[in-house]
Amino acid sequence: MLDSARRTPNSCCGDGNSAIPADPGAARVALVGNPNTGKSTLFNALTGARQRVGNWPGKTVEVASGSWRTGGEGAAPVALVDLPGTYSLVPRSPDEALARDLLVDRAAQGRPHLVVFTLDAANLARNLYLLAQVKDTGVPLIVALTMTDTAAARGIEVDPQALSEAVDAPVVPVLPRERKGLDTLAIAVRDALAEPRPCPAADLGAVVEDAVRGLADHISSEEPELAARHPVRWTAVSLLSGDEAPSVRGALREAAAARARTLVAENGSPHEDAELLLAEGRYLWAHRVHAAAVRGPAESRATWTDRVDRVLTSRWAGLPLFLGVMWAIFQATTTLAKPLQDGLQGFFSGPVTSLAVGLVGDPDQGGWLPGLVVDGLVGGVGQLLSFVPLMAIMYVLLALLEDSGYFARAAFVADRLMRVLGLPGQAFLPLIVGFGCNVPALSASRILSNRQHRLLLGMVIPFVTCSARLTVYVLLAGVFFGSSAGTVVFLMYVLSIVLVVVMGLALRRVLFRDSAREPLILELPPYRMPTLRGVLLQTWQRLAGFLRTAGGIVVVTVTAVWLLSSVPAGSGKGGFGGVSVAQSLFGALARCIAPVFSWAGFGEWHASATLVTGFVAKEAVISTMAQTYQTADVDGGAQPGALGPQLRATFEHASGGHTLPAVLAFMVFLLAYTPCMTTIAAQRTEIGNKLTAVSFVLQLAVAWALAVLVFQVGSLIA
Amino acid sequence: MTLLESPVGQSLALLRVETDPRCRLRLLELGFVPGATLRVVGRGATGGLLVAHGDARTALDSATAAGLQVEALRA
Repeated sequence: MLDSARRTPNSCCGDGNSAIPADPGAARVALVGNPNTGKSTLFNALTGARQRVGNWPGKTVEVASGSWRTGGEGAAPVALVDLPGTYSLVPRSPDEALARDLLVDRAAQGRPHLVVFTLDAANLARNLYLLAQVKDTGVPLIVALTMTDTAAARGIEVDPQALSEAVDAPVVPVLPRERKGLDTLAIAVRDALAEPRPCPAADLGAVVEDAVRGLADHISSEEPELAARHPVRWTAVSLLSGDEAPSVRGALREAAAARARTLVAENGSPHEDAELLLAEGRYLWAHRVHAAAVRGPAESRATWTDRVDRVLTSRWAGLPLFLGVMWAIFQATTTLAKPLQDGLQGFFSGPVTSLAVGLVGDPDQGGWLPGLVVDGLVGGVGQLLSFVPLMAIMYVLLALLEDSGYFARAAFVADRLMRVLGLPGQAFLPLIVGFGCNVPALSASRILSNRQHRLLLGMVIPFVTCSARLTVYVLLAGVFFGSSAGTVVFLMYVLSIVLVVVMGLALRRVLFRDSAREPLILELPPYRMPTLRGVLLQTWQRLAGFLRTAGGIVVVTVTAVWLLSSVPAGSGKGGFGGVSVAQSLFGALARCIAPVFSWAGFGEWHASATLVTGFVAKEAVISTMAQTYQTADVDGGAQPGALGPQLRATFEHASGGHTLPAVLAFMVFLLAYTPCMTTIAAQRTEIGNKLTAVSFVLQLAVAWALAVLVFQVGSLIA
Repeated sequence: MTLLESPVGQSLALLRVETDPRCRLRLLELGFVPGATLRVVGRGATGGLLVAHGDARTALDSATAAGLQVEALRA
């Protein structure tokens, strides 16, 4: 699950990269294996920087593919695809479905020439289950035996030669972190590609094998089209276990059901069915292989991971430790990131802006080019790049959490809490991060392996009140609520949590009805020390993906706002770029929008203008307030200065005397509507265009309805 | 008895998996097949169990653990 989490759920908005290698002549090799078997580490070691991440054709999951130079005279590089880790070829999530899509559902010419199967030496029996399924497809395969160091530490010794004989495929022990065994693996792959040999199936026991063979013969003779499209044995096995394939005709399904009934009757246990018998058959084979190839303690001993877990997941220490880790992450993404973010912002508004002014001229002197370049592009790109330290910190922390193995424990500890929303425990982390900034929170949502959960989380994160919104709450609460300001700000946080819960429950009922209440069945990988190389590689891949997708939308939005505030409206004095905010198209737009908020008590253009720039960034809300009043003495957001009386006058006038309900309504609107354009860009990366649009409209609707409710009820009470 | 009721540290034999079909299939795939030897390693902070089966460790929520029928193995 952790392994699969490294892929980006990226719907229709990818950059068009395909995970399928462009060179059709290259030999296709797929890495297949359970999660947490070191598969991606192996992939990174084999391809190095020669890899790219792209959408799986027709799917919403990204996979990494790369070029692997296997060496040898005249040998062309191999196109290697790193499929998301899976426990089974009967998939439970879109990530898991990729292995089956590639090995079974695809026409024969689209399937890989060879599978390199990562087999975890420390967890052999469980891994062999998937190997038995892969062997059913007949694809030529090589076993890369990983985690031999972890196995040795537990006193488990795997004999590669005996294992190779037992699984009937070449076995190469590898330690990708230490780059051991990679050359031997390359030679084995070259040899296997030179003389491909379909892999024989695992022996599932005489009774099961009779049933499978009978049904496979039936398919070969009666269903030639089906037999040509999919591996025959695999089809027979999946039909026997009751897998409902839509392309299978009724007659064949009945034949399969009849054979399944006979199979169960021959076994004679009232609790069994064909699916169970097939699973047992695979495990019997796995245990035979285990007995032939493994020397070690008969029963697993308590490991140091068990001892650490006894503390980290325990009743008394589990929750405080988990909350401590979450607090540290929150601190790192706020306190630690803030000076870096401010520094970069200063760099762009200082030296870079000066340089741009020197090149194209001062926007204050008029002219469209200086305005567009300095105010629009430098400002917009500067804002996006100022997020880079924050995102990098977030990605490094995510990689550390995942690679160390703690993340699975955190998910276990928080599971019960998150179930209220119908989300798994892993969802806790993005929500916590969201209180700092929604943008890295959205990126963190990709740690969920279930797509429905990811989409639901991606839609509720914007309701988590971020630190940028806090600056506005503090200013307004300070001006209007005096000594109760702290309570009012606290109430905004409470409301944010209530909104997350209510919206989560509502979205589950309306949009994500199919999202089953998933039980927690989560494999906990042993604790491991993350490697610098692995953490940096993951951080770089994720950061590059974020910048690619978010760059465009940020530049377009900033340019649009600059354009609106530069164009004079109506009788506005001054030419293009020389008008005051009040007389620009932006001011006109704000006046146009203002009546929409009259029921909420702030139908006044100063207020609506700040909400328009608040769409770009909440950090800009206070400076826009100042601009609309032509007030210059606003310092950092917390000191209202001369702004206070003007704000009071605005809200008093707009609300017909019900000032406090109107200010509260304004704050509630600010909490619930679009956090900022970068959030929209990040949402687009994570949940796709359509759901981002739905989420955008939903936030506006909820914000407006709540603001109206707060003002109307507040006015009655006051 | 069910896995949920089992004491920590006791070796257990899995008798039957009585959960919904999707959940049962995933449990089977992870090695929770009848006859498998299990051991409860710990109980979670907010409910749920940590279970050792072979060399793997799996976290289960309490509802799932309650659907696994087990019997104690002699030490």
